Amino acid sequence: MTTIRRFCCDDLLRFASVNLDHLTETFNMSFYMTYLARWPDYFHVAEGPGNRIMGYIMGKVEGQGESWHGHVTAVTVAPEYRRQQLAKKLMNLLEDISDKIDKAYFVDLFVRASNTPAIKMYEKLGYVIYRRVLRYYSGEEDGLDMRKALSRDVEKKSIIPLKRPVTPDELEYD
Amino acid sequence: MASKFGLAGGIPERRVRPIWDAIDSRQFKNALKHATALLAKFPNSPYALALKALILERMGKADEALSVCLSAKELLYTNDSVLMDDLTLSTLQIVFQRLDHLDLATSCYEYACGKFPSNLELMMGLFNCYVREYSFVKQQQTAIKMYKLVGEERFLLWAVCSIQLQVLCGNGGEKLLLLAEGLLKKHVATHSLHEPEALMVYISILEQQAKYGDALEILSGKLGSLLMIEVDKLRIQGRLLARAGDYVAAANIFQKILELCPDDWDGFLHYLGCLLEDDSNWCNRAVNDTAHPPKSIIDCKISDLADEMFDSRISDASALVQRLQEDSNNNVIRCPFYANIEIERRKHLHGKGDDYKLMEALLQYFDRFGHLASFASDVEVFLDVLTPEKKTEFMEKLKKTSNCLLTVPTKALGQSITLLKVQQLIGNMFKLSVGELEGSAVQMTELYCKNLPLSKDLDPQENMHGEELLSMVCNVLVQLFWRTRNLGYFIEAIMVLEFGLTIRRFVWQYKILLLHLYSHLGALSVAHEWFKSLDVKNILMETVSHHILPQMLVSPLWVDLNNLLQDYLKFMDDHFRESADLTFLAYRHRNYSKVIEFVQFKERLQHSNQYLVARVEAPILKLKQNTDNIEDEEATLESLKYGIHFVELSNEIGSKSLTFNEDLNLRPWWTPSSERNYLLGPFEGVSYCPKENTIKEREANVRRVVERKSLLPRMIYLSIQSASTSLKENLEVNGSISDPKISSELKILLERYAKMLGFSFFDAIDIVSGVSGGLKSLEVFGSDLIDWLNFAVFLNSWNMSSHELVQADGDRSYPKIWHIVDSLLEKYILEKISSTESTILSPTVDLLVLVQLVTEPLAWHGLVIQSCVRSSLPSGKKKKKAGPADLSSLSCLRESVQSLCNITEKVTKWVRNQINRSEDENLESLLSSMQNKGREGPGQVLLIIEALVSSINDTDLGDRISQALKSWSHVDVARKIVTGKCTVFAEFLRNCESKFKMFQSLKQQIAQV
Ligand SMILES: CC(C)(COP(=O)(O)OP(=O)(O)OC[C@H]1O[C@@H](n2cnc3c(N)ncnc32)[C@H](O)[C@@H]1OP(=O)(O)O)[C@@H](O)C(=O)NCCC(=O)NCCS
Repeated sequence: MTTIRRFCCDDLLRFASVNLDHLTETFNMSFYMTYLARWPDYFHVAEGPGNRIMGYIMGKVEGQGESWHGHVTAVTVAPEYRRQQLAKKLMNLLEDISDKIDKAYFVDLFVRASNTPAIKMYEKLGYVIYRRVLRYYSGEEDGLDMRKALSRDVEKKSIIPLKRPVTPDELEYD
Repeated sequence: MASKFGLAGGIPERRVRPIWDAIDSRQFKNALKHATALLAKFPNSPYALALKALILERMGKADEALSVCLSAKELLYTNDSVLMDDLTLSTLQIVFQRLDHLDLATSCYEYACGKFPSNLELMMGLFNCYVREYSFVKQQQTAIKMYKLVGEERFLLWAVCSIQLQVLCGNGGEKLLLLAEGLLKKHVATHSLHEPEALMVYISILEQQAKYGDALEILSGKLGSLLMIEVDKLRIQGRLLARAGDYVAAANIFQKILELCPDDWDGFLHYLGCLLEDDSNWCNRAVNDTAHPPKSIIDCKISDLADEMFDSRISDASALVQRLQEDSNNNVIRCPFYANIEIERRKHLHGKGDDYKLMEALLQYFDRFGHLASFASDVEVFLDVLTPEKKTEFMEKLKKTSNCLLTVPTKALGQSITLLKVQQLIGNMFKLSVGELEGSAVQMTELYCKNLPLSKDLDPQENMHGEELLSMVCNVLVQLFWRTRNLGYFIEAIMVLEFGLTIRRFVWQYKILLLHLYSHLGALSVAHEWFKSLDVKNILMETVSHHILPQMLVSPLWVDLNNLLQDYLKFMDDHFRESADLTFLAYRHRNYSKVIEFVQFKERLQHSNQYLVARVEAPILKLKQNTDNIEDEEATLESLKYGIHFVELSNEIGSKSLTFNEDLNLRPWWTPSSERNYLLGPFEGVSYCPKENTIKEREANVRRVVERKSLLPRMIYLSIQSASTSLKENLEVNGSISDPKISSELKILLERYAKMLGFSFFDAIDIVSGVSGGLKSLEVFGSDLIDWLNFAVFLNSWNMSSHELVQADGDRSYPKIWHIVDSLLEKYILEKISSTESTILSPTVDLLVLVQLVTEPLAWHGLVIQSCVRSSLPSGKKKKKAGPADLSSLSCLRESVQSLCNITEKVTKWVRNQINRSEDENLESLLSSMQNKGREGPGQVLLIIEALVSSINDTDLGDRISQALKSWSHVDVARKIVTGKCTVFAEFLRNCESKFKMFQSLKQQIAQV
């Protein structure tokens, strides 16, 4: 029972029940607003009855040549709405926009190596671990760089896993 | 940064690069060295100067930076041959902005653009300056110039947005929209449009003028193809049709949306609204002011349709819903089932409802989705339609339905929880007897324990099954406490949640409940710890701080309070500073709708009531922290510009519009807003929790608080001044009135203060003297106690210099006011400590009142005395001799100091006693409150928990849960409560001791005068 629409500033005032989750980061204002100002089509919110916020996805599209790709910066769903395919829906939307509108080659994301539930979900949604990024999270926890190829990457070159882990300063985009 | 030809600001790039490198790596000294060298080589380069200024600013040398910037500006203006490029100007701009001189940056760009009227880059810089200044008219003019220059779509849209901003956020009339429309029309005719966002702006311009037909035409024309997402386009189309009143066509569009997205609830509401020709969905959409509409209302108007029509439309809707239900072959699409209930509700509103059909629809929904965590909150609005009797009947039916066995245990658990939640929702709990309530708490706890094994293999990051049960147990226990006043239940509620957090420490729902419980108990330091563990930062500070801030404002935990306030203010101020740059970013990336959104959002935050309160409370906290040293206090006052701005704020507050951005939905039932705490009053049964919107009440409250509090800094300042001149002047010119300006200003403020308390100045004086003389009861001050005592304190210091009250009634009432203040402080403070006996145990607000009495009126009075004493001490050569009048005022002063010594000594002793009660004794009384005598009373829930802990089965529960259970100790929690309360006392004690010391030393000083 969801209406998915573009995220807007006022939603920032209403997403507390989603963001109090310990795995969901509350970024500073310029971070959110930069995403809104640059990639408004990659920032969507799901609303339920009574205009309650159920969850949201935030991302961007960037890169050059064959690494032109969609990126999921955050996806999160409030506890009471989990396991109802909402995250899946939001992910599919972002993939669709990357694929059809922006003609990107793949979608990628970073996830804490310890966030098993999320990793399981991404795998279920067709993402593979492309590489491990050492101490990606505040210099402590490793991150996993996961990818899913889009239709433009016919040979699925973008998702062939790397053999060795990389360090954060080797990343092309942050 | 490098421009063409390897030049930067007219200087070879290789010479500039090292400077930027040094700046980027924060080696400012090094950078400055390079910059100075560069300047020696290019003394007339504004760019070199700008670089130097930038470095100086980063080094914290604001004054030097400004003066260098100004010389660069001077050069630009006077020297025709210097280079005036965007790099130079934007570098200067950065520094000017950081120095809070946006205007200077703007005038540089204005000058440059005047000189090079066809330089697009400079004009964009100028546009950006106007964006920063929120000068919408000038933005528009600049954008139009650029548009004329190069004819690009984006500049036209910059102009159009600037026009929209004038209408929406400035004082531009609606007629301007016509101008914007004209501009767009002309451009479209020759160039068409190429950006989806441009189209959206075009449509919104038309929509704002109610030209729906025109907008629809454009949307369905060639331009419509710019919108790539089909549903988005349909949504706009449906909205326009509905607003134009073409409900039939609109309903068709929304039907299409539902066929594409059958789970789109909003889409369904629009669909139904159009069918029933109810336009409440469409008016006031833009001015949707409340961030948090009360969750119990789905706006809709009772349909005006004739009965027959209504019936046929409803049956259309039912048919569609039926079809959607059949099409949804998976178990996650809820909307079509939920829609059925809404249809029944609409019938109800139309007077054609059938409770049984509504119940039937609800039961159907339950049958499919009853196990979901969101079920109860989903159906909350619909239950409100039923009468209490029908609700009970429904509950019975629900119980019956759920009896059919569910094979998946997690689903069965989900369903059981739903039943319990619905029971809480329909208010049944309030009809149950104490015994039944206890029974239900026990039942829920057992259910939780029994189902723990389901979570055995879950990752610790994941929510466990049945987690909500413990919140519900807490809710029941608090209700039991409210009814019986038996503290045992309350402590037990804390135990339950702490237990839950021992098993999994991430459950923020528990943390929020707990912090309110601890606050109520006075263990504020523990409450604050839990608040910190929620990691509330950035925008959450605006929406979530209300859980802790109001309590902290009256607590003695000043360091923590200061952090809260400073972090919050910094966040808000940072946003205000950077918001315009982000708006410009939206312009640059052609996301025009975000431009409007950002500006409106900034305004919304600027009017935040919490921001206003914080801006007043932060300086008051500083003042409270420095009352024991008058020099420090005076320095603080100086930094506050002697409180003048705050007086202005107090004047303006009545007419300021305020926004309320706090998310109150997460608050516990017993305190739905920070102004309300049901537990402080008697149990009131079912009508406990009125769901009406409390915004009005909150707004009145904020205005009152801000209006009063923002007078304080100035009154404190004037009182110190008044007191310091009084004795001194007296000694020289007997009886004369000292600086008349001070006393007349103070009098005006006192009159206002009295008025805010609801009285005329002289009536207010009568009241304080009546209370102090015992003619009036101590109760008359009510909840304004602190304000009344402040009034008395400032009244006294005013009279010290004005002596008006002596003249007014002829007899010597001047000393009398000293006595009034002394006796009021003594009465109220001593009353508090004698009436508040076993504070470690009782949930109490009394301690906080006591803290306020000591740290506010008493402390302000202390400042007045310090000021008197300082000025009465012989200073330098002037030999002073006290005349008769001064002897009496001196003796008043002595008495007052003595009285304050006594009061603070007694309070100190009392607080120390509270802390020194042995920990064991305190623990004992806490724990015994839950001792279960027989099979009733508090403690039953705890028994179940203890039973679980004592019989842990590792294989059932898995390693992690077993380990967590083993670490549980309810005695530790009790100890935490005791320590928490002691921490609060200890902070207060420090404060009292310091005051006591100060008054003692004043006593000695004054003895020598
Ligand atoms: C991760 C998260 C976004 C999942 O949201 P969700 O709406 O519950 O996920 P969905 O219902 O769409 O899940 C789709 C599929 O992913 C898998 N999945 C989702 N959550 C899972 C979990 N906790 N464990 C195992 N698999 C899971 C399942 O296969 C699921 O399909 P199924 O339910 O039919 O088996 C949500 O748990 C969350 O908000 N977590 C906190 C924030 C976070 O960690 N975000 C990711 C890092 S940015």
